[in-house]
Amino acid sequence: MSEIKNLSSVLKSVSKPGRYIGGEYNRIIKSKDEVKCRFAFCFPDTYEIGMSNLGVRILYDVLNSDKDVWCERVYAPWEDMKKKMEEYDISLTAVESGDPLTEFDMLGFSLQYELCYTTALQMLRLAGIPIWARDRSEDTPIIIGGGPCVYNSEPIAEFFDLINVGEGEEVLLEICHLYNSMKENGSYTREAFLRAASHIEGVYIPSLYEVSYNEDGTIREYKPLYEDVPAKIKKRVIADLDKAPYPTKLVMPYVETVHDRIVLEVYRGCIRGCRFCQAGMVYRPIREKSPETLCNTAKCLFENTGYDEISLISLSISDYSELRELTDKLLSWTDEAHVSLSLPSLRIDSFSEELMNKISSVRTGGLTFAPEAGTQRLRDVINKNVTEDDLMHAVDIAFRGGKSSVKLYFMNGLPTETMEDIEGIADLAKKVVGAYFKLPKGERPRGISVTVSVSCFVPKPFTPFQWEAQDSLESLVEKQKHLRGCITDRKIKYNYHEAKVSRIEAVLARGDRRLAPAIALAVEEGFMFDAWDEYFDYDKWIDVLDRAGVDPDFYTTRGFGLDEVLPWDIIDCGVTKQFLLRERSKAYEAKTTPSCAEHCSGCGANKLGGKNRWCN
Amino acid sequence: MVQLTPNHPYVTLRVKFKKVGSLQYISHLDLVRTMHKIIVRAKLPVWYTAGYNPKPKMIFAAPLSIGTESVCEFMDIRLIDDISPELAKARLNENMTDEMQVLDAYYTEGKLTELRWLEYDFIICTDNASDSLADECERALLSDSVTVEKKTKPGEPTVTTNIAPMIKSARATYRDGLIHINAVLSADPSSFLNPEYIIRALRDSVGILKNPRLTEESYSIMRCGAYREDMTDFR
Repeated sequence: MSEIKNLSSVLKSVSKPGRYIGGEYNRIIKSKDEVKCRFAFCFPDTYEIGMSNLGVRILYDVLNSDKDVWCERVYAPWEDMKKKMEEYDISLTAVESGDPLTEFDMLGFSLQYELCYTTALQMLRLAGIPIWARDRSEDTPIIIGGGPCVYNSEPIAEFFDLINVGEGEEVLLEICHLYNSMKENGSYTREAFLRAASHIEGVYIPSLYEVSYNEDGTIREYKPLYEDVPAKIKKRVIADLDKAPYPTKLVMPYVETVHDRIVLEVYRGCIRGCRFCQAGMVYRPIREKSPETLCNTAKCLFENTGYDEISLISLSISDYSELRELTDKLLSWTDEAHVSLSLPSLRIDSFSEELMNKISSVRTGGLTFAPEAGTQRLRDVINKNVTEDDLMHAVDIAFRGGKSSVKLYFMNGLPTETMEDIEGIADLAKKVVGAYFKLPKGERPRGISVTVSVSCFVPKPFTPFQWEAQDSLESLVEKQKHLRGCITDRKIKYNYHEAKVSRIEAVLARGDRRLAPAIALAVEEGFMFDAWDEYFDYDKWIDVLDRAGVDPDFYTTRGFGLDEVLPWDIIDCGVTKQFLLRERSKAYEAKTTPSCAEHCSGCGANKLGGKNRWCN
Repeated sequence: MVQLTPNHPYVTLRVKFKKVGSLQYISHLDLVRTMHKIIVRAKLPVWYTAGYNPKPKMIFAAPLSIGTESVCEFMDIRLIDDISPELAKARLNENMTDEMQVLDAYYTEGKLTELRWLEYDFIICTDNASDSLADECERALLSDSVTVEKKTKPGEPTVTTNIAPMIKSARATYRDGLIHINAVLSADPSSFLNPEYIIRALRDSVGILKNPRLTEESYSIMRCGAYREDMTDFR
């Protein structure tokens, strides 16, 4: 935005202008004449959210480690800024150089949640880039998509030139190297590059496939257009996570961001196998880092950032096999340096007094647990593997340790759910309040608050529940109402997610290529920030789906047949369909599956390779 | 680092710094958070506050509002060890970007509250700029009544305030198509004058910056001097 005359007046007229200025400490500036590939990492949400994203932090570091590549950052402007940009014809630019996105070789979008699709496409519009891949010309930047959403990228496949399936640390550099060498030896055309890129493991080029459909609307087949194009795209994984690059410096935002702290990724994957959880399936196999590597990284990051908090993250931190060693090692210097530790993903059955004391050495506050379902039967169906006793034990420790607020996460609309399971949520919350009052006055903190937070289940690709029908809007709303009626204790606060949002989320998560015209229509109508309650408009979504001839029920309440070709069958994420089917039938028998640490259940992800602790 | 008791002896390092360019859009609260991390990175022997959430002790003089640059910001930091001010300055500067740099650092026993007046340079790019408009601006600012509409709290009705007593001096000139104003304004905590009100007052009284197209006109404000009650340099 630097070349725009008098932009200062625009910045003075928008909310939180600090998010548009860049200039942060530790940002990377290169000379654009000395690099061969200019890459713009685009995050389809605000600066405050995007700056906190671990994937962007890692890949920014990885791409910039190559002297021929300069990776910059781009965030979505808030609505007031977007309006000004449209009014004054200001193009969307990258934070580091202030150059418009059309000057870049590649744009990489991090797709973290389905409701960001419209924002991503609005960013292309603001940059003056056609949203359909087929409308782009030779010198338009290559538009890349990656992140968890691309395990089913079909609804947006035709907006992207290239999709990165799986972990990006290695594959993004390979893509840049291919690009640079083809440019250098003169063999580059957009078409030749994409064709060659399709041979890189973990790269999906949507335009190289033809999709046909059966009369009933289901998919008949995916057909590669050429023989050399792979029939299935295998997810890319990093073999040795302990040796994988990890940033030792972070770009330091001037404005406050949502996770303004050091984030230490402890391991990838999950040993649990909760049947609703996509992350638990698609990030397999489990690969851990060593406490030594983690502690060294943490120390470097502390010295280069000055942050006073380190958050240990992974899908379930207490399953890390060397958690005690790691926390002891960290605590040997963090306390003195006034740095606190936080562990955001604690499982109920692993919560101990020792762990609580380690994380509460500096801060007080509340604790969050996720029983997910209200009865043991339903928790067995979803393979959560925690019991009521586990929860009672955990909250007892929490209350004794001075924590006065407990947050409980649940889901509505899970397969086989009945009203009894809904009532179970209220009962469980009541028992948590009861556990507080059971303690003698001197041993518990003053005042208690229990928050019950209930989201609506979205059956996600690559989970044992991927074939399930989503509960209808009416049923979800009725269950929410029923639960409200069951919660009578004023010490219990009840929050729930809007069922309408979950329905649209399900359509976007489970859709196929026939959704694209509806999304394009949404973008044309100005949809943006759909993940923000204040901008999400259900009726408008139903309207664009209807106008594009898409029946939302087809992707939600219909459910998918077990022998149906699924939109995401084009992707091989490691876990096999046979495993998912086995897990599905066990769910209907309410039988649990032990964790990878206890017994290998043969999910198939170990075929992707990788140094890991549990797989054979 | 040693664990400190609340009454551990300390020395006060005064740091004069600039905050210019795009950093004018960073709020005071964000500046405080940023400075905290800079001090930790610079490995200064800081004195931490007691309590659950220990923080380095920093005090800022006269917070800047968003949209104002400055080459004379003051901050006091408590240290438990008197390292050389030159070393402290060098370490802080290594950990800051170009738009924020320490200009001077020294030990002091003085109080930040001795600061009473602040000097500002305004540069205004307005459609009708001319010599006579500059004269009008100067006359308007030096009159006995310079009124602005102030909102005390969001949602409450605005009140009209006369800011003339908070303007110590003002001079306006016309140069290279721009109006330049230099003014000394009150920094007394009980009658602090935000320099934005000068722009607002002139917009209402002499009609500068009236173009509805935001990219046609602009203005910048630079805080450039700090004084005690008797107009001697504050340091």
